[in-house]
Amino acid sequence: MIESVFSYLRDAWNGLQGFLFFLPPFPERIDTLALLSLVLVVGLLVAEWLRSHWQWPRVLGYVVAGTVFGPPLLGWIKVDILPQIRPFADAAHGLLLLEAGRRLDLRWLAHNSDLLRGTVSDIALSFLAIFLFALLLVGLSPAWAAATAAVTMASAPAVVLLVVEESRAQGQVTERVMLYSSLSAAASFVVFIIVLGVVHAYQSGSWAHSLTHPLWAGGGAYAIGWAVAQLTLRIAGLLPKRSLAQVFVLVAMALLAVGIARMLAVPVFLTLFLMGVLLSLRDEAKTLSYTSLPEGHWMLAIILFVVVGASLPWREFTWLTGLQAIGLLLVRALAKTLSMALAGGELPLNKRLLAGLGIQPLSATAVFMAFEISRLYPEIGGPALLLAFFAAAIMDIAGPVLCRFALVRAGETPSEQEKGGNGA
Amino acid sequence: MSELLEFAASEPLTLGVELELQLLTTRDYDLTRGASDLLRALKHDPDHGDVKLEITESMIEINTAPRSAVDAIAEDLDVMREALVLQCARNNIAICGGGTHPFHAWPERRISPGDRYKNTYERYGYLSKQFTVFGQHIHIGCASADEAVWLTQALGPYVPFFIALSASSPYVDGVDTFFQSARLNAVSAFPLSGQCPVLDDWDDFLAHYAFLYDCGIVGSIKDLYWDVRPKPEYGTVEIRVCDTPLSIVRAAALAALAQCLGRFLLRVRPPFDPARALLVARYNKFQACRYGLDAQISCPEQRSQFPLRERLGALLDNLREEAEALGCQRWLDALRQALVAGPSDADWLRERLAAHRNLHDVVRDSAERFRDVRALG
Repeated sequence: MIESVFSYLRDAWNGLQGFLFFLPPFPERIDTLALLSLVLVVGLLVAEWLRSHWQWPRVLGYVVAGTVFGPPLLGWIKVDILPQIRPFADAAHGLLLLEAGRRLDLRWLAHNSDLLRGTVSDIALSFLAIFLFALLLVGLSPAWAAATAAVTMASAPAVVLLVVEESRAQGQVTERVMLYSSLSAAASFVVFIIVLGVVHAYQSGSWAHSLTHPLWAGGGAYAIGWAVAQLTLRIAGLLPKRSLAQVFVLVAMALLAVGIARMLAVPVFLTLFLMGVLLSLRDEAKTLSYTSLPEGHWMLAIILFVVVGASLPWREFTWLTGLQAIGLLLVRALAKTLSMALAGGELPLNKRLLAGLGIQPLSATAVFMAFEISRLYPEIGGPALLLAFFAAAIMDIAGPVLCRFALVRAGETPSEQEKGGNGA
Repeated sequence: MSELLEFAASEPLTLGVELELQLLTTRDYDLTRGASDLLRALKHDPDHGDVKLEITESMIEINTAPRSAVDAIAEDLDVMREALVLQCARNNIAICGGGTHPFHAWPERRISPGDRYKNTYERYGYLSKQFTVFGQHIHIGCASADEAVWLTQALGPYVPFFIALSASSPYVDGVDTFFQSARLNAVSAFPLSGQCPVLDDWDDFLAHYAFLYDCGIVGSIKDLYWDVRPKPEYGTVEIRVCDTPLSIVRAAALAALAQCLGRFLLRVRPPFDPARALLVARYNKFQACRYGLDAQISCPEQRSQFPLRERLGALLDNLREEAEALGCQRWLDALRQALVAGPSDADWLRERLAAHRNLHDVVRDSAERFRDVRALG
């Protein structure tokens, strides 16, 4: 129907060109900025509607908007125009990961060994469980099973950050969910790079690259993150704390890191995440600690998650892959909750289990990592990682709900009665 | 009204101190929801006292055991301070003193779990969240109920001294209030805050309480937010006007002042007219809150004003005999030092703001000061 409308418009436009010499050729593609604004408004409206009617997390609304209006369903956002807005989604994702990294307080691990135990068991159990599932039950090759595990083992710090902010959660479960999701994402990045090297060796037969590529990617991301974090702190130190100028410096330096990472073919997300972690760790004078991204980062989140929703490969859905993805998610959920339960510590068991539930989200990071492999190995990577894509797709819908549920059940969000005091 | 029928006898002049403390996020030193998590995991020696929830989840209260000596109070406070600092580090939060948090947003506060707090929130609405202010309460043991009622009123004229010496709440909602203690403005919003009325004895107190009870104004002794009130279940008189100081050293010194003053008043029984004292009480309290040690206080007997600093100095001199008898002279000396050399806690906070130019770092410094056991009072 849209095609016929466009066809009518095109004919009319072409007819007008005979009279109005200044008219440009009929615009066959929508302007990127116009598309961006439509994505923003549609995502926003859908998310607000779902939130006001069903109390769904906004992140979920953005994903649903992308899925409904994107290629999987209505097709109003077409596959060929997704690359146009992908850089904005990448920037949004990068900035959210930078913020997640800045909130990661590694010093906490030194004060509380329970957390280290929880982190290590989450990372190890999640990877192992997913790897064995993909290898033994799905029948993937060891390299692709490892790639699937690397992509899906982590929680989604960007989703967790947004759900925590939206629900105004505060408390030990919230803090642990944020810590574990960030650390598992960091581990996932590292494992992903290593696995990428192995996959490369598996495909090309050259093992030299399997060593040098992870070193280049991981070492490069750290080096760029460290250098830009140092520079950021120095420049920000010249400005008043919590000033708008500091926010601009933070964003500008993040873009600098993105630029350098792209020039050197180093993973952008890992670079920004490490930059955030180093900004938090090296900022002993609290130069930038009190400076937050303004509320505008919600705008970034809309773009990011609408694009994620539109990018999900629902058209390639088969019942078998769907069932396998559900199996993977169940195994992953079991591994994560079990690791929290086994980690012990002073947090009561029910709260540890809720922390396990809170770290279930799996989203943008996994999808984008899977895209990266698909881009590198288009013939094999896409089909082999369909399982990871579908797992991410399902969790894009379920993850924010589970995370929010965990925070509410932990009693760390304001009660309905208390919201009365806020006029909320 | 059965709770008031008995005034539990206690050892005269024994002390108990309650301190309400601030729980902070280490990210930006704003208040955070952390009390029930902290309390659940906290390991401390109950011989030194107790740790309790307060109205909102950003507050925690420590209570010492009843003690005869200020040194023991100081030890209790220090042991509990250390346990809290350790557990806070394990929970990645910070803790500090001070009468108000300088920049927190009160609507963000969470009411603590439990029916008592739920009922308070239902009864007082937003005032409950605005009541996220932090005070020190000092209990003085009394041998009898009549003695407690007399002491409650006799301590009234000395309230400005306690306010001025403890004042540590110059900032509210991110601005300098120009007050040394802005905390008490939050308390004064409650209907039964302020001064205790003129009461002859314990029976008179019971009659007054029964009147309020029958009129539906109070349901419990806890509804009386008087500056100084009898606390029948403990057998004490409770001084409730102090801000929580920035260090436990100052908190112990204030307890010493209360003990010496209690001893002096009960021993000498100086004549005073409670009705006349009430006429200037609110003004003197305002002066102490607004100007701290630089306040001018009115004396109804002499019908004139005097510098609070001058009167307080004289009082500390007068209490020397009591301090020696109670073995707490060094604590009064610490107060004298604060009086002479300063800075007061409120002034210290202003100095930190001048140095940092932001309130986040001011709170961070407060947390470090609370953590440091060697911090000066």
